[in-house]
Amino acid sequence: MATSNKNDQVDLGLRQFIKNLGYIAGGSVLLGSIPWLESCTPEKLKEIKNQKARIALIGTGSRGVYHICNLLKVPHAEIVALCDNYPPNLKTASELCPKAKTYTDYKKMLESKDIDGVIICTPLNWHAPMVLDSLAAGKHTFCEKAMALTMDECKAIYNAYQKTNKVLYFGMQRLFDEKYIKAIQMIHSGLIGDVVGMRCHWFRNSDWRRPVPSPELERKINWRLYKESSAGLMTELAAHQLEVSNWALRRIPDSVIGMGDIVFWKDGREVNDSISLTYHYKNNVKTTYETLISNKFNGMGEQVLGHKGTMELAKGEYYFEDVEPAPAILQLINQVESKAFSTVPIAGPSWVPELATQHKPHYVVEGKISINPGVDMTGVDKDGSDILISAFCQAAITGEKAKNIVEECYCSTMLCLMGNQAVSEQKKINFPENYKIPYLNF
Amino acid sequence: MKDRIITAKHQKKELRILLYCFIVAFLLNIISVIIYKTPLVEIFTQIGYILAVSLVLYLFIFLIRLIIFLVKALLGHPK
Repeated sequence: MATSNKNDQVDLGLRQFIKNLGYIAGGSVLLGSIPWLESCTPEKLKEIKNQKARIALIGTGSRGVYHICNLLKVPHAEIVALCDNYPPNLKTASELCPKAKTYTDYKKMLESKDIDGVIICTPLNWHAPMVLDSLAAGKHTFCEKAMALTMDECKAIYNAYQKTNKVLYFGMQRLFDEKYIKAIQMIHSGLIGDVVGMRCHWFRNSDWRRPVPSPELERKINWRLYKESSAGLMTELAAHQLEVSNWALRRIPDSVIGMGDIVFWKDGREVNDSISLTYHYKNNVKTTYETLISNKFNGMGEQVLGHKGTMELAKGEYYFEDVEPAPAILQLINQVESKAFSTVPIAGPSWVPELATQHKPHYVVEGKISINPGVDMTGVDKDGSDILISAFCQAAITGEKAKNIVEECYCSTMLCLMGNQAVSEQKKINFPENYKIPYLNF
Repeated sequence: MKDRIITAKHQKKELRILLYCFIVAFLLNIISVIIYKTPLVEIFTQIGYILAVSLVLYLFIFLIRLIIFLVKALLGHPK
């Protein structure tokens, strides 16, 4: 395995224990928003001393290689096995970690006794069988989001997790991203008042395709575009943002309505390239979700709207509704100026349009932060993924389960699948009773 | 071109006008703080704007005085 410079290592202080979780409101430190961090604190990491988690990867495509690069910087991890049924990807990954044993059959790999944890970065339709097989083989398991392709598979994974004593993580890196953690703590402390709505969007301008060396590999390589292997933009993009919505509101929506179509990329794909949805929560708050991959002007964002302010989670900024007034002398000058130079309307609208006022941003985290513009299909630097993978490796040694990660991923995946159902059936979809789990408030 | 001497009396007069402008600007600030209900501390913290307003007032008065001077000069009035 390649050695790494100590400076390149993943921050073992869990990015200084998420910058000391220092947000204090009303005199109490709010730790309740992030219970999954309890199992992977830097103090607990010290207890495992020089032990290494023996990690195997299934799926060595772009996301798999992204995780390999992060794993190579984790001192308590050792990549011992790689598995892929697409030889070029396996070769690339093998060059990064030459000591790792290679496999083309994941079931064969799971038989190995020399593996503590398995990381799954395969197309969505493979998540459920691989997670279930991995847990059944007694391996600690990390799987990329979303949880699975169907609701039944999600429920099967959730049920299997309830019965196993093995660790199960999902690739919800926002749960480990400092700016999200701080921002959610601020929201929960009441900084922006009551949450009255949420707006999430993810816009790109790309066909979402990867080059295919020969036509028979089209469905294998561009698996995101076909319904047999993908639930489209919802599970690939929205899963993250719906998870954040639920985290901010501490509730799960009870229904969804919406529309989706193939607007621009009419190239034989089966999944929609444009989706607009509205999720309804029982307290009447709504999350509007919009995604489009033929215009990138708006990029990626998650806004939590409170009656006192707005939190822009992806940017790590917040704004207050009441803008501090300008100095009195300036207001006087402005009034004199507008009275002296403004035109006298003879005819026109009888009301003044409510144009958005210019708000001054406040920052969730001081200093330079990593902002994901939403363009990259693989992942960006310091978006929480490196901390997440380090935490999983730690858990693969200690065997301590992380609270709520599975539940968060289950709920967000269910909401994605409900969204797709609302689009295809053109009707309001309620959260199915038999798929509800004892988590948060529905 | 002939030399013009700005006398001490003249200088005092200009300084006095500038002072009046400053006082007017200062009063305007106090009035606007009361009208717009902003913090009282603005009476002192906005001194930069007060100085700018004083200067604008002074230039405005100077312009009026210049016009009057030119009109008088055109009409042939003695100084």
